[in-house]
Amino acid sequence: MPHLSERTIFVEAIEFDDPQERQAFIDRACGDDAKLRASVDALLRAHDAPENALDKPPVDVPLTNLPQALGSMIGPYRLMEQIGEGGFGLVYVAQQESPVRRKVALKIVKPGTGTKEVLARFEAERQAVAMMDHPNIAKVFDAGVTDDGRPYFVMELVRGIPITEFADAHKLSIHERLTLFISVCKAVHHAHQKGVIHRDIKPSNVMVTLHDDRPVVKVIDFGVSKAIGQSLTDKTIYTRFFSMIGTPLYMSPEQAEMSGLDIDTRSDIYSLGVMLYELLVGETPFDRERLDSAGLDEMRRIIREEDPPRPSQRLTTLNARMTTVSMARRLDPKRLTTRLRGDLDWIVMKALEKDRNRRYESAAEMASDIARHLSEQPIQARPPTWTYQLRKFTRRHRVVIATVSLVALAMIIGTGASIWQMRVAYHERDLKEIALREANEAKRDVEQFAAIVTTANSLVASAQTHAGAGRWKAARQDFDQAVQQQPNYDLPWVSRAQFYTQLNLWDEAADDFVTAISLGSTSDTPQWWGAACLFELTGHQYAARELCRQLDQHIANQQPIDHWEFVRNCLSCKDGISDASFQELARWTQAEVDQSDASRPAAPSSNGRQPPGRSPWLDGALWDNGPQWEGEPQWDNRPPRGNGPPHERRAPPSIFFDSKQPPPPPRPNHPRVDRRPETRESSQSGSPNHLPPNRGSSSQGNTSPENPNQRNPDPWGVNETAPIARPGERPRGDAISRPWETPRPWEQPLRSSPPRPSPDRASPHDLPPNVRQYITGVAYLRAGRYEKAIEYLQQSHADQGWPARWLIDAPLAMAYDHMGLADDAAKALADSRNSLTEVAETLALQETETTIPPWFDFVEYFVFYQEACEQIEGAPPRDLPSFAEVREAALMRLW
Amino acid sequence: MNSEVTQILSAIDNGDRQAAGQLLPLVYDELRRLASQKMTREPAGHTIQPTALVHEAFLRLVGSEDLPSWDSRGHFFAAAAESMRRILIEAARRRKTEKRGGDRQRIDLSSNDVVAHPEDSETLLALDDALQKLDAADHDLARLVELRYFTGLTIDQTAELLGISPRTVKRNWTYARAWLRREMEGDGPA
Repeated sequence: MPHLSERTIFVEAIEFDDPQERQAFIDRACGDDAKLRASVDALLRAHDAPENALDKPPVDVPLTNLPQALGSMIGPYRLMEQIGEGGFGLVYVAQQESPVRRKVALKIVKPGTGTKEVLARFEAERQAVAMMDHPNIAKVFDAGVTDDGRPYFVMELVRGIPITEFADAHKLSIHERLTLFISVCKAVHHAHQKGVIHRDIKPSNVMVTLHDDRPVVKVIDFGVSKAIGQSLTDKTIYTRFFSMIGTPLYMSPEQAEMSGLDIDTRSDIYSLGVMLYELLVGETPFDRERLDSAGLDEMRRIIREEDPPRPSQRLTTLNARMTTVSMARRLDPKRLTTRLRGDLDWIVMKALEKDRNRRYESAAEMASDIARHLSEQPIQARPPTWTYQLRKFTRRHRVVIATVSLVALAMIIGTGASIWQMRVAYHERDLKEIALREANEAKRDVEQFAAIVTTANSLVASAQTHAGAGRWKAARQDFDQAVQQQPNYDLPWVSRAQFYTQLNLWDEAADDFVTAISLGSTSDTPQWWGAACLFELTGHQYAARELCRQLDQHIANQQPIDHWEFVRNCLSCKDGISDASFQELARWTQAEVDQSDASRPAAPSSNGRQPPGRSPWLDGALWDNGPQWEGEPQWDNRPPRGNGPPHERRAPPSIFFDSKQPPPPPRPNHPRVDRRPETRESSQSGSPNHLPPNRGSSSQGNTSPENPNQRNPDPWGVNETAPIARPGERPRGDAISRPWETPRPWEQPLRSSPPRPSPDRASPHDLPPNVRQYITGVAYLRAGRYEKAIEYLQQSHADQGWPARWLIDAPLAMAYDHMGLADDAAKALADSRNSLTEVAETLALQETETTIPPWFDFVEYFVFYQEACEQIEGAPPRDLPSFAEVREAALMRLW
Repeated sequence: MNSEVTQILSAIDNGDRQAAGQLLPLVYDELRRLASQKMTREPAGHTIQPTALVHEAFLRLVGSEDLPSWDSRGHFFAAAAESMRRILIEAARRRKTEKRGGDRQRIDLSSNDVVAHPEDSETLLALDDALQKLDAADHDLARLVELRYFTGLTIDQTAELLGISPRTVKRNWTYARAWLRREMEGDGPA
């Protein structure tokens, strides 16, 4: 069947733009069949030949809607591809060669009215059109006449889809739709200010494209519709049953009148109203079929006289389509109706007023009203009754009011609430009561909200239990559900973020953290320890700055530091926290380190040396040789700036012990008199309770391969029995002895499956010396005191035991570099680089092997390494490992 | 409104196969009548779009008030396309024999002609020949060309009438267009 295959080959071949590729394809397809080859070639020649009889109408008036031969020139534009066809004519992608080489959209207008009139109308408006410069308006570059006398317009090429289709395809929520629509209003307002009226606003003239995954609106055809507009109305009558020409659906009453009444910007407002209607309801105010099938006079009458149903009303008549419509808006049908009733009804109906004097004065005004609605402010479109404004007020404070219920609930369960919270609760409850009296609607919302918060909390708890047991999928489902049910509540987001960090899904984690920040979440729980570097690494610099700003504030207020890991992480971010904070931190930490050094002359890290194999990190038997660490007054009892509550004195983290190891000998008499022996005892045994991931970050020495049997089975402090069961210790932990410190459930780090008290006041007292030195060194580095930085970083580096010791090289290299020590800098950077493989491998192990450094050590390392490369080598590193594989494995578990 | 055509269309809708045969002459006559009517009204040198004629004929014969289904519209347009083709070819043949080349400003009103350029007559006749060959090779393809070329339907409208996707229409049209051109140039396979 040569005929058939000839056809197939031809149809395929013309898809290739590149002549060489086309030839290659034909060569392949025809093989050595010369006859076939000849006929295909002849077809292609005929295809490309100019002046095909079929492209011209059978009589000598040029007919519309017959495509111009592709490849032919119109003015300086070469037609490339036909992309549209409608009542106005045809739209092509065309290549412009000069003065700039670019692709443009070229619209050839159908003949009908005089070319001269069209061009004259366009010329009249050309100046104004040229003045429009708005990112959401497609530019009109040029206009002209084709050889056969048809006017054409050259416009910015927009490859998008109509806004209504986009919104449905991406299942945008009502909120997202309104946000998108506001940008349409702003674009239209810009044009109006330049004196350009669109006259044909409808979804197919409002395109949405994705830029970096963000939807961007482009309004097309500004200035064109007017030029060709007048002929449109005549044509509409003629061919309306084909919907060939613009539909009357978006036409304002004064346009439908066609009485020659001047059309002004308020016609565009009407069309915007129709479009907003459609975005919300999924249908236009007037039924499409009804208008299409009505006669011309009837159509005009409907548009001029009939009042369309309000959006929420219209929803109820959708019947079967209702489910589809509400699903595309991510709401159930009932909630969608509630969502539209009220404000949105008012806004839409104000734009759709028959009398244009009663519509919004401008598109900007309409945009502001929508924005007011989004921020729960009273809108202008609605008569300002007293009850309405009160309802708005209570809705605006809905989250606060609902928090009350949550807090009350939390108290009943016994998860603890401070006096302050109580006061807030009482205060807010009063508020709630007022609201309840005044507005039943608000009350229902509040109750619903509280119920959902409760559900969300239990979902998070369930998810964490699943995650703790390695049931990732179930965990994810619960987290997703929690987030979905309560998107305005930060806990589910933070918890899911932490879950993602556990699986090395850093992008996902960062996104969730960002959402939590936007919901006002504070960063004072352990989940946030690595967030700053995570943000740096995933391109959320703004969020990283926000965390650092919170820390600055904290330091400026001279509040005691509760989470040194968090501080460390913020310090790792370039330009993160303020210079004042750097200085302050450096002072605090040095004071702490020096003091402990002074009272502990033989401390292994003070001189940066220790006997090989004697690292307290590695060697549990160190206790036999003289437990330099145990019971020493390593850190002062004072809080950093003396105005916080006194910190308990802590023994070193009990990760130094291992239940498998023989118990350490009785503690030597320490010169220092322990003022609170009880506390000391208990904190010693219970310190993992205080220091969950901290231990991961700082004291994972016994994970060293040299000492496999010393692996801490419980790096996350999950298993409290390990230290507690240690013979000779009093089996009492803080968690037991201090019930008032039981944390709120959401503060529990995910990796701990049994609930565990929160790390209260993880002061540097709890950190091993080299971690303290590291923090001090980094603080000095950031404060610009490089000698000091080098001193402390070197000290920290000398201790072999810290599994995340690879962290130190990069900041050290930077400090060297600042001091002009090029060789040392290069060597340290090389060391850091050499760790890449090890780090990447360790990271890949993370899910199976729990006894490795926690995730925030990794992000910190990568951030520092990156900065060091940029500083010293002048370029970002090219060898940052790809985590795709790690990610992939995690994703497979999740989905 | 011509109720006769409406009745025929609904008869076709109801499955009366013979009704389709009665449609063609009615549409044909109407188109000829309209064309000559236009010629008398328009100033000399002005010409007519077959598309406009077809649409006007549709309005006159079927009306816009009670729209027939797309199915029967399809029959109407098929009939109109064939009628238009006949009218144009007849006119071209006559012109060719009458050799009235230089005088295209003048119109022989009595002949009910549709005006065309003399050089167009040659092209049109060649196209008609090629179209007949295409019809023999692939009837559906020829029908598609007829619909698009002689009634000026857009890709989308053609697709709707034929009940196939616009993409297919476009592909078929592109192929047929090249095929006919090759045929007209005598560049065909063997």
